[in-house]
Amino acid sequence: MVELQRNKTFEPSGVQGKLKIVLHDVSGTLIRALGTIERRGYDYRDVHCTQRVDGDFDLLVHIEDTGGPSNLDTLCKQLERLYNVVSAEKVGRRKHAERA
Amino acid sequence: MTTATQFEHQQTKILANREPKSGALLLLESIAAQGVDTIFGYPGGAIMPVYDVLPKVGSLRHILCRHEQGCGMAAIGYARATGKTGTAFATSGPGATNLVTAIADAYLDSVPVVFVTGQVTSDLMGTDAFQEVDIFGITLPIVKHSYIARDPADIPGMVAEAYFIAAEGRPGPVLIDLPKDVANALTTERHKWRPYPKVKPEMGQSDYISKAEDLIKDSKKPLFYIGGGIAQGDGVKELRDLVNRTQIPVVSTLKGLGSLPTDHPQFLGMLGMHGLKAANYAVQECDLLIVAGARFDDRATGKLDTFAPNAKVIHMDIDIAEINKLRKTDVFLDGSLKKNLEALNPGEAKCEDWRRLCFSRREEYEWDYKSPIGNMKTGGVYAPKLLHDLSRRVEGSAIITCDVGQHQMWVAQHCYFDNPKDHITSGGLGTMGFGLPAGLGAKLGAPNRTVITVSGDGSIMMNIQELATLFRYDIPLKIVLLDNSALGMVRQWQEVFFEKNYSEVNLDDNPDFAMVAKAFQIEAFTITKGDEVDDGIERLLSATGPILMHVKIDTYENVWPLVPPGRSNADMMER
Repeated sequence: MVELQRNKTFEPSGVQGKLKIVLHDVSGTLIRALGTIERRGYDYRDVHCTQRVDGDFDLLVHIEDTGGPSNLDTLCKQLERLYNVVSAEKVGRRKHAERA
Repeated sequence: MTTATQFEHQQTKILANREPKSGALLLLESIAAQGVDTIFGYPGGAIMPVYDVLPKVGSLRHILCRHEQGCGMAAIGYARATGKTGTAFATSGPGATNLVTAIADAYLDSVPVVFVTGQVTSDLMGTDAFQEVDIFGITLPIVKHSYIARDPADIPGMVAEAYFIAAEGRPGPVLIDLPKDVANALTTERHKWRPYPKVKPEMGQSDYISKAEDLIKDSKKPLFYIGGGIAQGDGVKELRDLVNRTQIPVVSTLKGLGSLPTDHPQFLGMLGMHGLKAANYAVQECDLLIVAGARFDDRATGKLDTFAPNAKVIHMDIDIAEINKLRKTDVFLDGSLKKNLEALNPGEAKCEDWRRLCFSRREEYEWDYKSPIGNMKTGGVYAPKLLHDLSRRVEGSAIITCDVGQHQMWVAQHCYFDNPKDHITSGGLGTMGFGLPAGLGAKLGAPNRTVITVSGDGSIMMNIQELATLFRYDIPLKIVLLDNSALGMVRQWQEVFFEKNYSEVNLDDNPDFAMVAKAFQIEAFTITKGDEVDDGIERLLSATGPILMHVKIDTYENVWPLVPPGRSNADMMER
């Protein structure tokens, strides 16, 4: 009998990130974007959605990987592949600005 | 595929026509306007308004399959054989859910198909009405895009965009869910539809092309790893020209087979779990992998971190989301694969020793069809040799569709292909029941070609009702049914990986398949001995109508080589 290699049990690696996603106001777009994030191996920690003056939506999501191989750049490309997603990008941490 | 300009032109025409029409008629006329000539469908309650006006659109040929899954897979077979976008209809509820496997199959294999489902009336949506399911929600992860038609005035633009999206870039399935009241409603309005804004770049940037060329020039052991994207991206000629220019050896995924002729001097064979030894060894030892239209699928790579461990990677793919998804890429060329293959011109690779090694291995591990093997020794039929002989008889002139299992791998290993569109197999989803409906769809799409479906006794039972479709439309499909009285691939794995603990794989109570086919009024016969093969092939190929050749083969024959799951491709097991 050939010994099979057991699949690794993935532990969350704690990779966290914030994504800013711009969506057209078309039915199904929000659920399509959120579903893609979850299916590609991430949990939400925070979700904010606000409408812009041009009618599109800004979706800001704070996510954490669920333990699979995580790559936020790939996730952004997978989101941008969706129709009615205008853009998806990682949001870097802003430096704390000291008041004078 | 519709270009952006043609798309705009269609929009102008749509807006100009203000005759009062129902949503159903607008749907069909809009589909016909896309150049569609064949729809595979199955009527039912919620889609009846569409079927009511179907006779009014004379240019559309409707093929009534006997199960919605058959409709979907026939549309896939049609799309893959013709290069056009397929179309399938089903009603709401169970009709729609029966399409789901076909939609997933089209998604995993990047096949352009537009699926239209009827839906309960808008006021009943969300109330758990009779035959209501949220097919839009169910299919979200397995469509390229989807719509719920809320207003008949949206339909012409929606249909035009659906066909555009299905075929554009990396192709895929698009779903339109049509509530019954929207199908029935008359309108004089036509809403302008926003043009699709995401047109992909035609070619990778020139500095990346030159970086790729530099990598090739510096490589001592370069290797092409090609996949289904070659056919999808219409890049067969450009690939062949590039291979001839560079003289670099080539390995292929299941879906890339035929991109180079099987006997091309640079072709080493299929890589991966059931790949050829020469191909897998070449991957393990190369120092540069030039990936064209392939996506590092686990069946091709084996244990990913042992795949081509010493190689730099050039990755060409129209889908930028594939970059670095599974394997870090050194140079990525996005946009049109065809244009990138054409632009890449590093000259002949200086790797004579490497070529010599690869080709000596190819000779060493070449299949031997002359020595008795398997149950040929006892006068039985050895399926790989039968497939090899059949394939050589048609000399690459036939389209072969497959089901899933051992016979599928034997087709990949032993049949000759010189066009990737001639090998229609369910590569990504691995859908048993695919072969027969895909075969009938392919034959309707390519009526002047010989189309052969190779199936197994497990697979064919999953869509055997489509024999009735063959008879109804007199579709001269040729079916080779390899019957080992078992779920062969599962049985093989139980033998090899589960200490012969055979569990629920015995099919020795199969029906007499020739009699079953005859009950559907299809010509059929059975062969059981090696010396009946030649006559059987002759009868199969000379038949003018649909025919089924039932072939009894050895239950215990296995597919070799085999890379155990989760192991490196270097760890191939053999007979």
